[in-house]
Amino acid sequence: MSITKETLEQHLKDPAIFCCRREKGLVISAADLEDPSLFDDMVDAGLLTLSPNGLKIEQVLGSTLLTDVEALTPITAEVLDKVNETDSSAEKEKESVTNESKPIITTKIGGEGMLHIEIAKADHIEGLKLDLPIGGAAAPAAETFVPAPGVAAPTGEKKVIRTLKKKHMKISKVELGDKTSIIDGVLTIDKNIVDKAVLEDPLCKSLALDIIYPNERHQYTETIMDVCPIATKVEGELGEGITKVADGVVFMLTGVDEDGVQVHEFGSSEGYLDEKMYFGHPGCADENDIIIRCHAVIERLTGMTRPGPFAAHKCQDYVIQTIRDELKKYEGEVIREEICEDVRRAGNPRVVLVKEIMGQGAMHDNVICPTEPCGILGGQKNVDCGNVPIVLTPNQVRDGSIHALTCIGPATKEMTRHYIREPLVEGLAADTELDLIGVIFIGSPQVNDEKLWVSERLGSLLESLDCDGCIITTEGFGNNHIDFIQHIGQAGKRGIPVVGVSFCAYQGQLVVGNEYATAMVEENMDKGGFENNVAGCSCVTKEVATRAIQMLKNKMAGVEIKPAPKKWNNDVINANNKLLGLPETVLLDNGTLH
Amino acid sequence: MLTTKEGMQSEIFVPVTPKPVFSELKKPLSECKVAFITAGGIHKKSQTPFNTSGDFSYRTIEFSTPSSELMVTHGGFDNSDINKDVNAMFPIDRLHELVEEGFIGSLATETYTFMGGGGNVEKFKNETGPEIARKLKDQGVDIVLCTGGCGTCHRSATIVTRCCEELGMSCVVIAALPPIARQQGAPRITAPHVPIGSNAGEPNNIPQQTAIVKESLEWVRDCPSYNQMKVLPYEYRHNV
Repeated sequence: MSITKETLEQHLKDPAIFCCRREKGLVISAADLEDPSLFDDMVDAGLLTLSPNGLKIEQVLGSTLLTDVEALTPITAEVLDKVNETDSSAEKEKESVTNESKPIITTKIGGEGMLHIEIAKADHIEGLKLDLPIGGAAAPAAETFVPAPGVAAPTGEKKVIRTLKKKHMKISKVELGDKTSIIDGVLTIDKNIVDKAVLEDPLCKSLALDIIYPNERHQYTETIMDVCPIATKVEGELGEGITKVADGVVFMLTGVDEDGVQVHEFGSSEGYLDEKMYFGHPGCADENDIIIRCHAVIERLTGMTRPGPFAAHKCQDYVIQTIRDELKKYEGEVIREEICEDVRRAGNPRVVLVKEIMGQGAMHDNVICPTEPCGILGGQKNVDCGNVPIVLTPNQVRDGSIHALTCIGPATKEMTRHYIREPLVEGLAADTELDLIGVIFIGSPQVNDEKLWVSERLGSLLESLDCDGCIITTEGFGNNHIDFIQHIGQAGKRGIPVVGVSFCAYQGQLVVGNEYATAMVEENMDKGGFENNVAGCSCVTKEVATRAIQMLKNKMAGVEIKPAPKKWNNDVINANNKLLGLPETVLLDNGTLH
Repeated sequence: MLTTKEGMQSEIFVPVTPKPVFSELKKPLSECKVAFITAGGIHKKSQTPFNTSGDFSYRTIEFSTPSSELMVTHGGFDNSDINKDVNAMFPIDRLHELVEEGFIGSLATETYTFMGGGGNVEKFKNETGPEIARKLKDQGVDIVLCTGGCGTCHRSATIVTRCCEELGMSCVVIAALPPIARQQGAPRITAPHVPIGSNAGEPNNIPQQTAIVKESLEWVRDCPSYNQMKVLPYEYRHNV
């Protein structure tokens, strides 16, 4: 009495369990069986124990019960007059046969809202190709099949809108001295600059600089608030012209308050630096980077307010600006010239990347579009902007449009360096099959109603951008997952294929969801599936980005993505990696096993 | 043309949860009009029994009905407990006692019961649920208590309870299978340790039944937000 015939068909291979007490002589039908989608909950609640001897639904249908059986008991061969044969090898053969004779049909949603259907082989039809407008029900039928004369179909040809050249300037040595300068790859920082920098904000009580070389990583550090590149504009605005980036050196901001309380929110990364940063991840220092540590002490009890942590970022930025000014003039060795292009590939599927960033205040904030790459001055904070979605071009993001006032967990936050080399931005922009039309930043507000409000704004934006697909990411986990899932719903209910990317694993399991969140990519790299307090450990990596982009293509092309298992399992992630020729996701053992 | 890869699997489990629905209780319990609905297949002996293979109809039961005139028709669990004492699923006698005691203000004139096993989700969501909710609301009901029965009963019970909550009544599902009530989006949940079939407590154990009903009412008052669950410290094991 418990499942319908439709449910039955989806669950033929699932365990057969009586929903109710059933008596001897019964001929088993769908109506007698419990809905398998409830089993996990029932097992969790201790109401049901699945048995290895239990039969599958397809094995018991039509069989007669030889004895009375209680509700929620696995059905075994002993209680039945017969067990239906379901020989798996015979089945496989059948499958491969059907595959051969199966019509080969590809459909694709392309530019100009056309649905492209190509049937390579089917019974009585060969080589048929159809292009139909999507959602064209309102258009007069006569127009549907007639292309406008003289207008060639768009081909996905690349059209460059603007170019940004990033010149990576080699820095091989950093020292503190009497005057800030860059000479022959040697960056010298005025050791007294901190005295001026600290005056930038009264909430910053002291600032100290020191230099950490790659061979000096095993030393204590206070919590890592941010990792920030040194980059500066020498020509044009953010996203175009020329930017110089100091190569081989990054700033690392650490902070405590006057009482020695770490400036952090969910989790703190103080400890030995070599154990507290995931070197090489996009937001982190690379293995061979020289780290300029800028340590701030802020006014007591201001760590969990908006102005306190911001003061530390602002004062550090004063120091960085003096170096930017030297970098502008420096004409030393260019180790790499990186050409970034904002392009349009008309005719390819129009995709957007949506990045949910924290917007709850305190450290949950970001500066958007400062004057200098990764800077502070001239930018606006997303909290002050009401956390509404803001569209940037891929080049703007790659030119340091986001200065992260990062918070949340160390492992799951995206630091300033993350954005200037965001793997999803890089991957989508480089993909010749897609047309990346923009990167949307949307803040995650503190109040539930506001979360829904900004999400609705995102929905309208996605609709008006006329996009064919989107990837939505979020840093952190917890309350921001409410809006994250909402965003996925906004895309999904408009029929826009969507892929979600987040840290969830064990600790960040989703507690809300909707039917559109069917293609999800896990960022976790902790063995226990926890926020492990290792800065930058579980965030968007190149592998995460590759899996997400492939899932999006699958979804847009209508190629199935199997549903996720109920519990986080790294084997699923590695199976996807293997399928795409990516290296294995090796989890970091940081003592979080539970 | 897009390059696709067969065999990819989604990496994050996403529970499909309905949207939150929550009506805060704005009166003391002693001033509230209370109703009790159940998906556990309770009806009057004089009424047409439910179709045990799935039924989205409901029966009207006046709260003045003596418990001796009620019975169960439900194939989803062992009926012996309810056969002994209908209060194990539908604690009508306990509710009258709570009115006398002054713990609650009054009872609705009539209530509505159904058999949620194998329940048709769309029918319960769009027809039966809204209809029951409207009829309770028209009687001025403030609080709705609800028991499920079997697994899919909890789903049907939760759907109807959500309809009531949407009309502004404050509701709680007394769940023997709390994960299902939770996942299906019950506004509030209490969870005594009881088997399905005796969702409101051990048959003829008046103190236990009273405590479960009272604490469920208190949870309607105290529950801070949507979908929160309170485990009740009452245990009953049913050996069939």
